[in-house]
Amino acid sequence: MDASRREQIDRLNKFLFKSTGLLTITLLGGIFLMLFSNSVLFFLDVSPVDFFTGSQWDPDTKYSFLPLLVSTFLVAVGSMIIAVPLGIFTAAYLSELAPRKVQMILKPIIEMLAAIPSVAIGFLGIVLVGPGLASIFGIQNGLNALNGAILLAVMALPTIVTISEDAINAVPKSHREASLALGANQWETLFRVTIPAASPGLIAAVMLGLGRALGETMTVLMATGNAAAIPEGFLDSVRTITATIAIEMGEVPYQTTHYYALFAIAAFLFLITLVVNFTGEYFANRLRKFHS
Amino acid sequence: MKSFLFLVLFFLLSSCYNDNHTIKIKGSDTEVNLAVLLAERYHLENTSLLVSVSGGGSGLGIASLLNGNADIANSSRSIKYAERALFERKKIAIDSFVFAQDAIAFVVSDKLPIDSISTKTITNILNGNHQNWSSIIPLNQPITIYGRQSNSGTHDYVKSILGIQFSPHAMQMNGNAQIIEALKVDNSGFGYVSAGYVLNGNAAGLKILPVFHEDGNAFSPLDVDAIASGHYFFQRPLYQYYRKKDYQKIKPFLDFEKSETGAKIIQQSGYYPLNK
Repeated sequence: MDASRREQIDRLNKFLFKSTGLLTITLLGGIFLMLFSNSVLFFLDVSPVDFFTGSQWDPDTKYSFLPLLVSTFLVAVGSMIIAVPLGIFTAAYLSELAPRKVQMILKPIIEMLAAIPSVAIGFLGIVLVGPGLASIFGIQNGLNALNGAILLAVMALPTIVTISEDAINAVPKSHREASLALGANQWETLFRVTIPAASPGLIAAVMLGLGRALGETMTVLMATGNAAAIPEGFLDSVRTITATIAIEMGEVPYQTTHYYALFAIAAFLFLITLVVNFTGEYFANRLRKFHS
Repeated sequence: MKSFLFLVLFFLLSSCYNDNHTIKIKGSDTEVNLAVLLAERYHLENTSLLVSVSGGGSGLGIASLLNGNADIANSSRSIKYAERALFERKKIAIDSFVFAQDAIAFVVSDKLPIDSISTKTITNILNGNHQNWSSIIPLNQPITIYGRQSNSGTHDYVKSILGIQFSPHAMQMNGNAQIIEALKVDNSGFGYVSAGYVLNGNAAGLKILPVFHEDGNAFSPLDVDAIASGHYFFQRPLYQYYRKKDYQKIKPFLDFEKSETGAKIIQQSGYYPLNK
């Protein structure tokens, strides 16, 4: 092959990769633009004050974002309360204590959790977790925030475990050796040295898990009942931002206030997830710098 | 490369090309199964006219009709004022055709000691006045309402015929099947679904309440005669919207829906043919 031909192929490849990269950015920009232009149309009809105060999402009359926001955070934060200790301790066990063989089996199994379709988990919420919660708490039904939080915890676990494990693994061996040499036992080393040293990575894990929980749609749509009032506790039915969009988009009359309203809440969800993911990335990068 | 471009161009053009031998139906997810059955049966007898059906929701159907991407918009709700205004702005005259009816069934657990219900009681439950069964029957349990999302045809219909605002605590389930699942678990729940979903043994463990209005007799939503004579209180039309200028083109299919064969398919799918 002569040199000019090779150069040509190189140039072609360069062009190809450049265009795929640009395409991704264009797509993101397009989505961003569409969400925000439609949101602007919404705020021409409904004042932001009504949007952020008020207590009920009842399209055509009341567009209050507050119950949706409270619901979304109730479910997502609830899921983190369950998934964070579980995930971090699992990761600590996997990287510090588990024999090599157990590690080899357990890790793929946890990662397989991520492969379960969300609609299947939602279904479990209806037929298994819901009735279970109802009988434990003596309530009429189990379609509430707690149900959603439990299911989302299961879904966020693989993310949290995988990233936490990487973070704990990345703590230099010398830290542990120093701690043990000073007379600390294995537990003290884990809780006082290894986990604190891995904390930026653990925060990244939690943030990315939270991002996953905030954006999840099908599971919460099926398991939380979607009542439009502001929830008062974990045993109340909630209606998340994602569920609202999914449930209403199909039937909404196009190019009406209600239609724009769905774009507006989607834009806010986008912003929230963006902030959470950036925070996660920031801490993940700090971890990389710290250890390199 | 050149031939590839032509191919792309061909596909782009052919998708715009609106021929006279295809009817495109889009819209309501409630009606999509029924429309598919009707279209398949119709195709057996009339191979010259092709009917393609897709779902996506009533809103999408009506928007597609407006954009010219559909010839018929299935809608489980009547067209909204705002949508009508969009058609007027584009100077498109539209008309509607009611091809079937749906009865709304009110469903409770079969353990609940209640045998029929009045429209007034239904109103009071759905708007949140009665939050406990004790105000209706001797049973001290809170009522949980299981219904559809606020912009579904079913929700819209119940809301407008009773003239109520739904209680904000009403559960909004994603589809009829989920309402049934929830009611099977919740012994004190109260839900409404399309009657078609509680046919054929789908309602094991559930009770379908006959409904009476004021001092009239109670009728069950599964009573074909009562529906045919218009005696059941909650029966709603299923609409198909079309552009007036397309009427001649789609008329054969609409006629088929009205025919005896069409009526049989409608009934087998759990809906009711129109009153004759």
